[in-house]
Amino acid sequence: MELFVASPILFPLLGILLNVLIGKKLGERGVGWLASTVVVASFAVSLALFAQVAGDSEHAAVHVKVLPWISAGPLQVSWGLLVDPLSSVMMLIVTGIGALIHIYSIGYMHGDPHFQRFFVYLNLFIASMLTLVMADNFLVLFVGWELVGLCSYLLIGFWFTELKNAAAGRKAFVVNRIGDVGFVLGILAIFVTFGSLDFAEVFKAVKAQGGALAAAAGVITLLLFIGATGKSAQIPLFVWLPDAMAGPTPVSALIHAATMVTAGIYMMTRAHALFELAPFTQQIVALVGALTALVAGTSALRQLDIKRVLAYSTVSQLGFMVAAAGLGAYVASMFHLLTHAFFKALLFLAAGSVIHGMGHDRHTDPQDMRNMGGLARRMPVTFAAFVIGGLALAGVPPLSGFFSKDEILLAAFTHQPLTFLLLGATAIVTALYVGRQLILVFLGEPRTASAAHAHESPAVMTAPLIALAVGAVLGGALNLPGGGWLHHWLEPLIAEQAKPLNLPLAAFFTALSVLALAVAGWMYRRPERAAREVARGVGLFLARAWRIDDAYAQVVVKPFYFISTVCAQVVDVGLVDGAVNGVGDVFRRLAQLVRGLQTGLVRNYGLVMLLGAVLVTAYFVVVR
Amino acid sequence: MTMAEWALLVLLGALSLASALGLLLSRNAVYAALFLVLNFSVGAVIYLLFNAPFLAVTQVAVYAGAIMVLFVFVIMLLGAERLAPAENPPGLAYQRPLAIILAVALLAVAAWALLSGAQIEPSPSVAPRPDSSPQAMGMWLFGPYLLPLQVVALLLLAAMVGALVLSRKS
Amino acid sequence: MMINSTDVVAVLPFISVALGSVGLLIADLLIPAERRHVTAWLAAALLLTAAVIALSLLGSPTFEAFGGMVISDPTAFFLDTLICTIGLVTILLTLRYNQVRGILRGEFYILLALSISGMTLVTHANNLLILLLGIELLSIPLYVLCGIARPRLESEESALKYFLTGAFASGFLVYGIALTYGASGTLSLQTAPAAPNVSGDPLLLIGIGLILVGLGFKVAAVPFHLWAPDTYEGAPTTVTAFMATATKVAGFAALLRVLHGGLPGMESTWQPLVAIIAAATMIVGNLAALAQQNLKRMLAYSSIAHAGYALVGVAAHDTTSVVFYLTGYAFTTLAAFAVITAIGSSEGEEMQFLEAYSGLGRQKPLLGAVLAIAMFSLIGIPPTVGFIGKYFVFQAAVAKGLVWLAVLGVLTSAMAAYYYLRVVMVAFIREGSAAAPLPTPSAPRNLAAAISVAAVFVLGVVPALLLSMIGNGMLSTTP
Repeated sequence: MELFVASPILFPLLGILLNVLIGKKLGERGVGWLASTVVVASFAVSLALFAQVAGDSEHAAVHVKVLPWISAGPLQVSWGLLVDPLSSVMMLIVTGIGALIHIYSIGYMHGDPHFQRFFVYLNLFIASMLTLVMADNFLVLFVGWELVGLCSYLLIGFWFTELKNAAAGRKAFVVNRIGDVGFVLGILAIFVTFGSLDFAEVFKAVKAQGGALAAAAGVITLLLFIGATGKSAQIPLFVWLPDAMAGPTPVSALIHAATMVTAGIYMMTRAHALFELAPFTQQIVALVGALTALVAGTSALRQLDIKRVLAYSTVSQLGFMVAAAGLGAYVASMFHLLTHAFFKALLFLAAGSVIHGMGHDRHTDPQDMRNMGGLARRMPVTFAAFVIGGLALAGVPPLSGFFSKDEILLAAFTHQPLTFLLLGATAIVTALYVGRQLILVFLGEPRTASAAHAHESPAVMTAPLIALAVGAVLGGALNLPGGGWLHHWLEPLIAEQAKPLNLPLAAFFTALSVLALAVAGWMYRRPERAAREVARGVGLFLARAWRIDDAYAQVVVKPFYFISTVCAQVVDVGLVDGAVNGVGDVFRRLAQLVRGLQTGLVRNYGLVMLLGAVLVTAYFVVVR
Repeated sequence: MTMAEWALLVLLGALSLASALGLLLSRNAVYAALFLVLNFSVGAVIYLLFNAPFLAVTQVAVYAGAIMVLFVFVIMLLGAERLAPAENPPGLAYQRPLAIILAVALLAVAAWALLSGAQIEPSPSVAPRPDSSPQAMGMWLFGPYLLPLQVVALLLLAAMVGALVLSRKS
Repeated sequence: MMINSTDVVAVLPFISVALGSVGLLIADLLIPAERRHVTAWLAAALLLTAAVIALSLLGSPTFEAFGGMVISDPTAFFLDTLICTIGLVTILLTLRYNQVRGILRGEFYILLALSISGMTLVTHANNLLILLLGIELLSIPLYVLCGIARPRLESEESALKYFLTGAFASGFLVYGIALTYGASGTLSLQTAPAAPNVSGDPLLLIGIGLILVGLGFKVAAVPFHLWAPDTYEGAPTTVTAFMATATKVAGFAALLRVLHGGLPGMESTWQPLVAIIAAATMIVGNLAALAQQNLKRMLAYSSIAHAGYALVGVAAHDTTSVVFYLTGYAFTTLAAFAVITAIGSSEGEEMQFLEAYSGLGRQKPLLGAVLAIAMFSLIGIPPTVGFIGKYFVFQAAVAKGLVWLAVLGVLTSAMAAYYYLRVVMVAFIREGSAAAPLPTPSAPRNLAAAISVAAVFVLGVVPALLLSMIGNGMLSTTP
């Protein structure tokens, strides 16, 4: 049984092993299909486990301890796996969409010199993400959490010939580490409070002690939320996700849209019992989510890169999910996570197909929407896929996005006016940028030779598009208003009252979205407008994502560099010249001076030690 | 301890300090070596005062005698009697005053601690002074202190190998 | 007093290494100059034997020997095993590296073995005299080893700086021991503060303070760390690897013996001080590492920063977490140094600057992978041992109420990701420059790298293996 439950994780690992060992012999197609097959196998096992949970009358979880891990005094942690309604849904998303994207990548990465490495990383990601969602305790969850971050880092910097890409990978990693600080401290706080890290024991204690834990829960949930802001790209840590688009497009679809970035939402849903004890944290979560949704949504309005529009859109939609979690609407949050996984993966893969088709002229940027236009006739399948994904994103009924977004808006409407206002505005902005993108990319006349010579992508790429498009259309059926399937499915974990459809509200937003699409169509009937409006003023401000990145550079990065260089200069005079740039002339001269006098240095070392000795002894005398 | 012994101890202590300072400040290597001889000898007298004749004799024979002869011999052989005048490199003039201030601070902390703590007399737990005859010393060294003695031997071996490695022409 | 078998067993690893190094000295005379690697393999065999002996003694109960001068507990024997294993891995690294640089000399291995004998004594020290002798015995051969690449200027500079500052630090240590003796009338770590009216004696406190200064130097804790970057950079890389790992372990063994094994009842006195030193060490080590372009120098600052994390465990009075952390750190660092010794060997010229590693990941994927894994473990990414080690020390700190220290530790380790990742980036992302020579092949070095990487993963995934060996930490024999 242990082996069977663990096999979704083991299959991709097997794929890695085989691809590393005999990948060279298999050749490109062999590597790709092997990597895809193991993920399909994971999907099959996930389905079987799902069926097992579904078949049980109580939806009882499948829970196994695979291996003991840490046993140090009170800290008892094992590699335990948990398949319950929540994790089984996540497993299906990860392996299902993962399998489709693997297949798509066979076509997309065709001819890449590092084809083999790409699929090894991709398989590693699937294994890591499954570890994250199947963990039965916080520490194993964190292992998966870090590993998916590592995979993300490796894949963002995959095309490393450009230093820019590598820097984007590192930025993603370091920003995530800042979030992880919160998460690690949160885990420590959980252990101190509950004496255990197992979900079962922690949540049992939460249920038993209830309100007595309010103070501790406040601290823990705030820390956990900091972790979530890193991984799920929320204010103030969202800046890494747009840069992460430097990675290959299938990676953006899988990691930076459908799965990894939703880890924060999954984690908060998993720990919802704690969050419910901390109303203050929930307020913050809701507001941060809603604010992120609006800031990122408006930023998406003025992007010129086809993938960056989708990146900001992802940040914005993640904001929706986080806000829903903050409002206590965890089912709505999970529902939106699910539909978003379909339609955003679809949009990214379609965008990838566009980029693939735009490869005619080496000298035009295949991702710049100013270079596109008129692709609808040349890439009909891609166009259809993009329209479906876009309309689902804009919340046009009866596509999946309509239902999930509506549920979140309804929750906000009944709970928090401010959150509702922010999210409502974002919903309209969403339709605007979807319309803008559709027109700039697909309609009008081709604006460059690349666009004119664009061709439809091969079947291995369009087939996953069709599969995802079906999901994006029908996904809404999974949780129809008034207590749909997902609602009942998650009931053992999340007891939440289902709300019926609020018809006036739904009609209002549908009308506004359609109107916004029309407005966008009218505004960009002359596509040159897109280039003009980002040149200055508000357009530039939005194009640079409210200048938050610039502000970080000024307020955090620059002073930090200065302090560290000064520190290194004063403390460590052996520093090489290359690193001294930007430091005052005084320091450089001082460094030169002292470097020539090595004995002087040793004397200084002695002086510092003497100072240390004085301080240490003085300490002992004073505290006595 | 009688008053006279006490006074003698203070005097010897002062002499020991003075000779150490002389060693540090002298720019002539031979003078420095002679100051060291003086310092060792004062130490020997202090050992005598503390009723440790064997240690005193060893101190004179080994340190003040054998080792110092070796030192002076090497100094003469290398012709390194006079050191270069104390250079005060520009930009590093702060070192000496700073060192003095820090040293005084350390001394002050120690002195303050000593004076504020009431126990100048040794605490009662101190073991009675052992018989310091050569025979007793031998019993000590090859009895309870056997392990340290062997380690010291190993230490000297390591130093010897090291000295050979560093001085051998490659 | 007669020596009995208990005494011998108590320090059997020390005795075997010490006798073995004397044997090595004699054997080396009989080995012809052009077959020096035989000495190396003999030394390796010696260390392997000692490691096995120490390992087999792990199960024995805690007991004192040599009239209480030494103590033997599972932690001590575990540290012996660790130190001998590090020595063994170091020897594997030296075979090719030292040969290319003309320092494949018999004395190298004799001094290495002598230094290790000192370390295996420190781990058992229950008496300040033994502690001092052990530390000197481990230090003096190291001074010479740093300068063994004479007449290379940087090697001489490294040795001189280490020696001068080391002698200065020894002065503090000896003075501290003298004052402690003056206050308590004993050199035993168990009874020193136990005497009536002594534990608050300012003389004793100053003595302990000065001992901490001397030991702080050995583990390169701020502000006694300044020697480390210069010494690590100039010494032959194999010696640096040994110093960054084995010496660090031995220094911490001494600290643990003094603070955790000895001085019962004084925890509240030293804990805040150690916590402050730990904090300063983590901050300064990580900050200064950010600006480094030289990989050896960066690893020197990294070793300072990691001393800070281990000190967190010391402050929290959790011996097990400290020993675990050091074990993980040692193998991780050895893996990193295995790669450094591989680069540029053919020229005999050190390739220390990061630039020299560009394209390594593509030309030599396996070496590049070893480097990357080492960096990930130093950052503390699961499932490497670096993660578990950090988790243990931070948890120990939180459990002891040192929450601020844990927060600071987590923050600084997040910062550290920046400079470790830069190494990975350069190795995997930049195009290789034509100037960067290809690494020379060496089977023993590859074995060393494989051992280290395996340890990084095995200890990360099944830390229970190690935890059971370390035992429950050091317990004072007197209540």
